[in-house]
Amino acid sequence: MSPVLIILAVLSALLAVTMLFAKSPITSALCLLGVLIMTAGMYGMIGEHLVATIQLVVYAGAIMVLFIFSIMLLNLNNEETDYKDRPLVFGAALALGALAFAGFGVAIWNHFQAGDVVVKGKFSPELIQTLGGNTKVLSHSLFTQFYVSFEVISLALLVAVVGAVVLAKRKFD
Amino acid sequence: MTNEILLQLLAAFLFTMGMLVVLMRRDTIMILMGIELLLNAANLSMVAFSKAHQMLDGQMQVFFVITIAAAESAIGLSILVNLYRNFGSIKTQSATTLKG
Repeated sequence: MSPVLIILAVLSALLAVTMLFAKSPITSALCLLGVLIMTAGMYGMIGEHLVATIQLVVYAGAIMVLFIFSIMLLNLNNEETDYKDRPLVFGAALALGALAFAGFGVAIWNHFQAGDVVVKGKFSPELIQTLGGNTKVLSHSLFTQFYVSFEVISLALLVAVVGAVVLAKRKFD
Repeated sequence: MTNEILLQLLAAFLFTMGMLVVLMRRDTIMILMGIELLLNAANLSMVAFSKAHQMLDGQMQVFFVITIAAAESAIGLSILVNLYRNFGSIKTQSATTLKG
């Protein structure tokens, strides 16, 4: 277990907690940006370079710019009606979160206790190295095996662009 | 082997935090950010499992999830701008037109 990975994991967990409890939306948005950048760093640390780049460019770049832009556009202040004025709901939500995390933890524990029951795929690190690296292998897979999905997803993006323009434009009088 | 456990635990923690953000916050924009955090946690889990099992399917799935997340946030934010125009606020309790 590399120390850099542990540092990234702890930092992103702390940033996620800060995001939950921060009062102003812009603080939360910057914390989420931090979490996304840390996640990109972790992808890079485990050797998934293409996913790390896409995470950095699309998630931390495009999507978060959109969020911060709309926070500034709407000129949002701090929340006046805070969740902390209803301690029962607050406590119940936290208890539900703790319960869900315990459930996830038990599932992960069971999975790793079971040992190597899962049949491993054929893309070992050595094979990926022989085939020309992570980016080349993933791109080849994207444009051969998954190319129908690739075309369909481009159509979905087009629909989203048209929908966003239609929703956000001013109404005709 | 311990790397995988660390990444899976972190993914579970981030997922829980995203769930709590969606449940507890009242701003629509915070709920959208919580959804982004949920998607990010699921992505992390998929990439880590796919890497551990020496497959490529998880990484390919992550491309499509990121694309859908981009589309979803664009649509969600334009709905949010409309909400602000109509109600003057983006709190969830301000949109009460359908309330009896």
